[in-house]
Amino acid sequence: MMGLQHYLHSLESCLFPVAKHVILPTSLFLSPMNPKFSAYSQPDSLVDTDWLAANLNDPNVRIVESNEDLLLYDTGHIPGAVHIDWRRDLNDETVRDYVGIEGFTAICRRHGITPETTIIFYGDKSNWWACYAFWVFQLFGHSKAKMLDGGRSKWVAENKPLTRETPKFSPSEYPSPALRNDAEHRAYQSQTLEHMTAKRPMVDVRSPKEFSGETTHMPEYPQEGVLRGGHIPGAKSCPWATAANTDGTFKTAEELRQIYTVNLGFQQDDDIIAYCRIGERSSHTWFVLKYLLGYQKVRNYDGSWTEWGNMVRTPVEKSF
Amino acid sequence: MMEVGRNGATWSALQLKNHSNYFMYPEPLNDLIDLFEHLPEQERRENLVVMADNAKRHEPAEGAIFDLEDVRKDEECTDTVGIYLRIDEGDKLYFSVTLGPMVQTLTKAMTSILCRGLNGSKPQAILDVPADFVPRIIGAELVRLRSQTVYYVLSRMKTATKMYLDRRRALA
Repeated sequence: MMGLQHYLHSLESCLFPVAKHVILPTSLFLSPMNPKFSAYSQPDSLVDTDWLAANLNDPNVRIVESNEDLLLYDTGHIPGAVHIDWRRDLNDETVRDYVGIEGFTAICRRHGITPETTIIFYGDKSNWWACYAFWVFQLFGHSKAKMLDGGRSKWVAENKPLTRETPKFSPSEYPSPALRNDAEHRAYQSQTLEHMTAKRPMVDVRSPKEFSGETTHMPEYPQEGVLRGGHIPGAKSCPWATAANTDGTFKTAEELRQIYTVNLGFQQDDDIIAYCRIGERSSHTWFVLKYLLGYQKVRNYDGSWTEWGNMVRTPVEKSF
Repeated sequence: MMEVGRNGATWSALQLKNHSNYFMYPEPLNDLIDLFEHLPEQERRENLVVMADNAKRHEPAEGAIFDLEDVRKDEECTDTVGIYLRIDEGDKLYFSVTLGPMVQTLTKAMTSILCRGLNGSKPQAILDVPADFVPRIIGAELVRLRSQTVYYVLSRMKTATKMYLDRRRALA
């Protein structure tokens, strides 16, 4: 990986061949391009661990950790990272929904995030919950957001620094977003039903046994209260992990195209819905389809199987 | 003055007077419940992390001999958990536990708590321990559907105890 100094030098040479004395604010630095990223539809939607290690102190970057393991952040996190708990911080506690504009604004202000802050999301489980948090931030239009390729496990595997010190940032004046843009990123049950009826593309990213209806919970997890097993009629099975390497990084663009474009037959202008059981695994697939492969219209059905599999008179298909 | 209940657990007269549930928990576990349930949320988290850090201390010592070893990977837990049981004089049980690296932090913490809270108890006392103390230790904030494996180690300890008792009965 290119060192930061070398990278800065090459960046200056490249972008400012005449005015070499120009000093760029660090926030304007492009990611030193991991060769793998350049083939993705939006290469700058990812950073790698080396980039992050070199940018830990950039005041325009805020690192956000989101995990399934509720205490993992407390055991040690990337220096400067703040913790966003997918349920406590991002979910409404009384309605099965996400926080509203006020709740989102409060999170950003609390962590000193402004609309100009670039947020780097990372977490456990190959970034499931980091993708989920990223997705929620997109509902509110915070487009300066990137995923750490490989997430927490890669950072730890590389023996990069961890700390238990919780950072303190001065509260920001994050302006309230005009709306929560559910329409673009999110599918409700009624919309998913219409989607199914119209036989539009849908991907079920759960494990094969959950898809077939043989089990109603994913391997190694408790039953989360689903009454019917199976899948939404017409949905194609493609477990989320198909898109990830064993180290938690995303597969290459070529490999991803083989999976989603060739094998599943998704077209660039398709209207696609992804779902799992509560919307976190499908956030991972949503990110892959939208940011790495450039599908224009991809929505995450966050109600997912815990809603569909319990809904009265909702069709279910089994293949078991 | 300490008294001994039908399940071998001990409690003080004051504890007995103040808490109807005291008879259910061995005293060291009771002390830990008392400690945790009165902690503010942040301190509770910090102490749980300390407990999780200490989980390795409850791994079997090299060369140690056990009366029962039960090492397996169950579907409801994210990694392999090994329960090692030693029976001492006076029919007192001592647990050692190995945890795979993918086990959640809360499960690691609960392993430490259970080893500290149950070691030295009699078999029936282990089997009688109700699981309702878990939310009192980890607090409402951390009780989630996906943190249910926090109960798993207790169930494995009870299973190992029952296996040991069954084996002993069969040999009698």
